Amino acid sequence: MKRSLQAGLLVLCGLGLLHVSLFTDLCLRYVKEGMRPPLIASGAVLILLGLASAVLDRGGEEHREPDGSDGSGGAGGHVLDHADGFDGSGGAGGHVQDHADGSDGSDGPGGHAQDHADGYGRSGVRGHSGAHENSGAHDHSGLPRVAWLLLLPALSLLLYAPPALGAYTAARQPPKPVAHPGGFDPLPRTSPLPMTLSDFTSRVQQDRGQAVKGRVVRMTGFVTPGSGGRSGGWELTRIILNCCAADAQSVKVRVYGGPTLPADTWVSVTGTWHPDGTLGTGSAAVALDARTVTKVPRPVNGYQDALPLS
Amino acid sequence: MQTTGAPVRTADDQPAGGAASADGGAASAVGSGAAGGGELPRHWPLLLAGAALVPGSVLFLLGRWGDAPAVQAWRTVCLAVTVQALPFLLLGTALSGAISAFVPEGVFQKILPRRAALAVPVAGIAGVVLPGCECASVPVAGSLVHRGVTPAAAFAFLLSAPAVNPVVLTATAIAFPGNPAMVLARLLASLATAVVMGWLWLRFGRQEWLRPAPRHTGHRAGHSRWDEFRRAFQHDFLHAGGFLVLGAMAAATFNVAVPRSVLDTFAATPWLSVLFLAGLAVLLAVCSEADAFLAASLTGFPPVARLAFMVVGPMVDLKLIALQAGTFGRAFAVRFSAATVVVAVACSALTGWVVL
Repeated sequence: MKRSLQAGLLVLCGLGLLHVSLFTDLCLRYVKEGMRPPLIASGAVLILLGLASAVLDRGGEEHREPDGSDGSGGAGGHVLDHADGFDGSGGAGGHVQDHADGSDGSDGPGGHAQDHADGYGRSGVRGHSGAHENSGAHDHSGLPRVAWLLLLPALSLLLYAPPALGAYTAARQPPKPVAHPGGFDPLPRTSPLPMTLSDFTSRVQQDRGQAVKGRVVRMTGFVTPGSGGRSGGWELTRIILNCCAADAQSVKVRVYGGPTLPADTWVSVTGTWHPDGTLGTGSAAVALDARTVTKVPRPVNGYQDALPLS
Repeated sequence: MQTTGAPVRTADDQPAGGAASADGGAASAVGSGAAGGGELPRHWPLLLAGAALVPGSVLFLLGRWGDAPAVQAWRTVCLAVTVQALPFLLLGTALSGAISAFVPEGVFQKILPRRAALAVPVAGIAGVVLPGCECASVPVAGSLVHRGVTPAAAFAFLLSAPAVNPVVLTATAIAFPGNPAMVLARLLASLATAVVMGWLWLRFGRQEWLRPAPRHTGHRAGHSRWDEFRRAFQHDFLHAGGFLVLGAMAAATFNVAVPRSVLDTFAATPWLSVLFLAGLAVLLAVCSEADAFLAASLTGFPPVARLAFMVVGPMVDLKLIALQAGTFGRAFAVRFSAATVVVAVACSALTGWVVL
């Protein structure tokens, strides 16, 4: 891979990271808020690295001996790449090509064809033997093509960022087990009472005092359409992350009544516990009889089980 | 992926090459002459049609399927794994670059015990000093090998660093409140696995499984150390980053394709559940800082199975196998990962039986 292209790839990756972490809140679709400072730092480091590579290596290439025997220039990479393509025919042919490419500053057509002709698995070994032939000089220039894969996340972050996980993922997961260590405090007097989905779940299934009985509660989450199970309804859902979207877990409260809304709509629901099973034990259904269902905007950080904003 | 990509690219490039050499002058004519670029390739109408049709249909399919919920979830998980791991990978590659540029030759040989069998446990315990997840440890271990550390010790470090560092142990303690035995068991089982794998490499490992990677061999006289650091850093990051994306794609595929509700079917049988969670740790590729929380949520499983999940996860998973294949070669990654899974499951079963 050419030095200037490597620099470009680094800068693109850095821009992608900065775009989602510093300029927008897109990173909150993938990771937790706490990852933002490391992401900003990484983006800045990548851009600096890419710029340094573009500036310093360009300057270096001009004064460098054309045969690349000092071993650290962009020229070295070309010798290696072409030596690969020539099936190890030695350094001489590679040098000729190298001058041809280097003089116009762009990857020559022959170079491209050769690059693609050999697989990366081979190129590692070949590159090494090539380095030995050239007095151990050209070390870290021959990158495998696999490095180009970095282009996909970089462009995706910049141009085509996928949405946060939603109903599709939640519908395919069992609900996250909610444990509530210790006793339950008495509930505040306000009505409707704002609650998180986890809190509601533990109150319904574990609070022997049945404090939630007869209370009107209000919760916010997104709609996961019902799977056509035994009792209908849909599920008010929150997806919670521990680290990144790969370890997403969902808390769900089944909702009866109210309008049928499309998946992933964010709503605020008020209602009372749907009496099914014995309240305060594991047999109690985590479900709500809805009184009102109102659409709300998606919160900036959707991956947490937060109280509804009043 | 490589083999399917190659013909398409050449199809694109060769007609362009012909045009460039026609008006580009002598210099580029030399360049394209070797590839026969002056003449049109043999099946050029076919190639031309391919070049015209393939990008269009790819764009169409992307637009058509790119917004299906499953594909969106796949892209989200894939990006999430990549974005989450990039800062740690950057830290690891910066460290590995610094080791090869600034640490003088022979320092590690002086610090580590002379006998390789003793160096292995010392390196395993030294894993405590690298905070962060597993992506950072692969490039560091790679640069240790290239700095003359015996591979067995470097591998012990590679395996133990993501599992026994303070950040991960703290996360484990938070995930299992009131259960310090789990933290101890994780520490012991991870260390034991790392050391056993190091010794196994000493006994059975072969040098030819390791790819002699074409890369920097440390500081050379007459070169700026900072320049060498920058180049090594850049090379290692791009190299490992590509493999990280590959691993993230594989992990996202399993993450989306295997619904989490499959889990419950395996929870009943103890020994089956240990094997199942170990396999799950490999496929899901969750970061070592987060896997304790996931393990804690798998309440249907016995503690030993959850321990196996936390011991195997930081040592072997899809993105790590891809990273190792990039750093040490495919022959190594396949053998080493397979052996590590076996040893890790055995160690966690034994530790879990004693401690938990």
